[in-house]
Amino acid sequence: MSLLTLRRNFFNVHVITTTKIYRENCLNEAKTEGKSELIPSIKFRHSCLLRNQRCIAAYLYDRLLRIRALRWEYGSVLPTTIRFHMCAEEMEWFNQYKKSLATYMRSIGGEEGLDITQDMKPPKSLYIEVRCLKDHGEFEIDDGTVILLKKNSQHFLPRWKCEQLIRQGVLEHVIS
Amino acid sequence: MFVTDIRKEFYDVVVNQRVALFVSPDIDALCACKVLQALFHCDQVQYTLVPVAGWQDLGTAFMEHKDLYINCSNVDLLETLQPEEDSVFFICDTHRPVDVVNVYNDTQIKLLIKQDDDLGVPSYDDIFRDDEEDEEEGEDSGNESDGSAEPSGKRRRYDEDALERRIERQRARREWEARRREILFDYEQYEFHGTSAALVMFELAWVMSKDTKDMLWWSVIGVTDQWVHDKIPHMKYVTDIATLQRHVSRHNHRNEDEENSLSIDCMRITFEYDLRLVLYQHWSLYESICNSCYTSCSFKLWSINGQKKLQEFLADMGLPLKQVRQKFNSMDMAIKENLREVIEESANKFSMKDIRVQTFAVHFGFKNRFLASDVVHAAAALLENVEKDETPADNFIKALDCLSRSNLERLHLGIDLAKRKLKAIQQTVASCICTNLILSQGPFLYCHLLEGTPDVKLFSKPLALTLLCKYLLKAFVCSTRNKRCKILPLIMAAPLDVEKGTVIVLGIPPESETSDKKNFFGRAFEKAAESTSSRTLHDHFDTSVIELKMEDRGKFLDALITLLS
Repeated sequence: MSLLTLRRNFFNVHVITTTKIYRENCLNEAKTEGKSELIPSIKFRHSCLLRNQRCIAAYLYDRLLRIRALRWEYGSVLPTTIRFHMCAEEMEWFNQYKKSLATYMRSIGGEEGLDITQDMKPPKSLYIEVRCLKDHGEFEIDDGTVILLKKNSQHFLPRWKCEQLIRQGVLEHVIS
Repeated sequence: MFVTDIRKEFYDVVVNQRVALFVSPDIDALCACKVLQALFHCDQVQYTLVPVAGWQDLGTAFMEHKDLYINCSNVDLLETLQPEEDSVFFICDTHRPVDVVNVYNDTQIKLLIKQDDDLGVPSYDDIFRDDEEDEEEGEDSGNESDGSAEPSGKRRRYDEDALERRIERQRARREWEARRREILFDYEQYEFHGTSAALVMFELAWVMSKDTKDMLWWSVIGVTDQWVHDKIPHMKYVTDIATLQRHVSRHNHRNEDEENSLSIDCMRITFEYDLRLVLYQHWSLYESICNSCYTSCSFKLWSINGQKKLQEFLADMGLPLKQVRQKFNSMDMAIKENLREVIEESANKFSMKDIRVQTFAVHFGFKNRFLASDVVHAAAALLENVEKDETPADNFIKALDCLSRSNLERLHLGIDLAKRKLKAIQQTVASCICTNLILSQGPFLYCHLLEGTPDVKLFSKPLALTLLCKYLLKAFVCSTRNKRCKILPLIMAAPLDVEKGTVIVLGIPPESETSDKKNFFGRAFEKAAESTSSRTLHDHFDTSVIELKMEDRGKFLDALITLLS
């Protein structure tokens, strides 16, 4: 899921055009006073404004959906490259979403809560065989041992440790 | 130290720890690795799998992974790798002779090798000596210096006795050392191969009742690999096949009932007394006959006479040329039915007594039928694929994948590559024989592949070069009239890396019916390199394969000639 920088300049242009169109509409309206010749042009400009508004709303909404998906993919801490592309309001929204997801997770599943962002597909086994697709350096697992993830090495690791890396594309699940 | 109870001393120890598996790039090792992986999946043993192509790779990989080690090679590991006190190595390897330090190390090195292979390990006292003598000597010299306080007469006598004893001891020691050198030389002179590693692993699985048909099939491939690449004598192959045959019938009897017979998609392994024609079921019969070592050398297909003989052979069997040149699967059913018997009969007339060989085949689904040797050739071709620029580790992964049943496209790709490789081998052999590229250097035959030879890149890899070498030697023995040359071994050199100017050199023992496949070139190469200080790299686990700089080729060969005459 890629998130590009919020296109602020579009907004600026949009705001300018909107105001221009709106002012023209107002002018025309002022001139009307009962005559109906300018009404179609007023209606036309109004529908333009509405259309632009819809486009921008769709764009912002799509960005929000992507940001929401990022929480499920990357976890609660986003990499800096992605945070760079988000604006302050979006960050704010993200934090709120994180909070509400965390509250929900804590409420289900008894005392400790249940992490529902794990095991997105039903797991078939505790340990899975993974193959390294790129050099990732050292990786520590639960009992403290450090594994070197070098390209083309294969490892047999606990499923929960690998899920993140599989989603990021560093490891590949080998099914034989 | 040899492991006696493989289950208790190896598996039960390993099951609770993290393991690093170092696997060398040959098919037998890959199969052993697959069996072991399947066992580890079953018991959830965490492991890391690292392919290692040679000693240098092993060194780097060792630095990076710090766990329990299982490994496929056989020289004094402690010296080469210098591990810490508590790391343990389990070695499952087919290379013999087993290094004596590995045998007598009790704590860190455990050998997963069957002891009924004729190992001939020298006894401990012959090679190692607890050094009491040094201490005594020290004492004596100490006494000598202390003796200055004693009266001079006594001291002199004491000195003489001590001196005599010392001389005696030194002489005994020198004798012992000479004997030790001799014993070690005899022991380490010849390199050969023992029981397949895949078979050892399968027997481990069997002892634990965790063996499956997949594991059995992998061990079949491992043993067949040893036979295809000529690592074991025929008798040993037959014995191993007999062992496997017992396992196969055990597995087959388990499921085949009148009421509940297996679905067609399940895997079935069957024992076959099949033709020695390489890949014939995935190719056309004609191509297979032309490119199989056995038939090609018996007919001498590089000559026109040979081609005529082949036509006679086909006519004798009553097989129309059109049928024979078609893909095997599209041949007439009527012809395919008795094909093996028909071919055997005709082959006997043309003095090819061993056209059939005992092997196994696997069926799963309606279309998929493979002989063990098919899979070996496919996997070997994938392992040494030079077509795209991929690292050896990539190729290793691909070859490992093709052994699983779910990766059929990879296996078919391997079969295509193998066909190309075999054709290249056939053409190279034909050109070498026709242009007399094989020269007799006295104690051995020598052949050098020049750089412009077509497909020479294929032969920069050890397995492919071994096949070429054996094929060439057989062809040469069939075509030459010089009786003396027939019993000579062959050394072959092929360009390895044009920029660095290196060649890969390989030596194989002489061709004979009852050869025990013992190769002395490992030691010979080492000595020759030492004496001429040629720039060589003895990196491969097979000591009979080395890399050499082009410029040093001449003096290296001269040294070899003097050494071996």
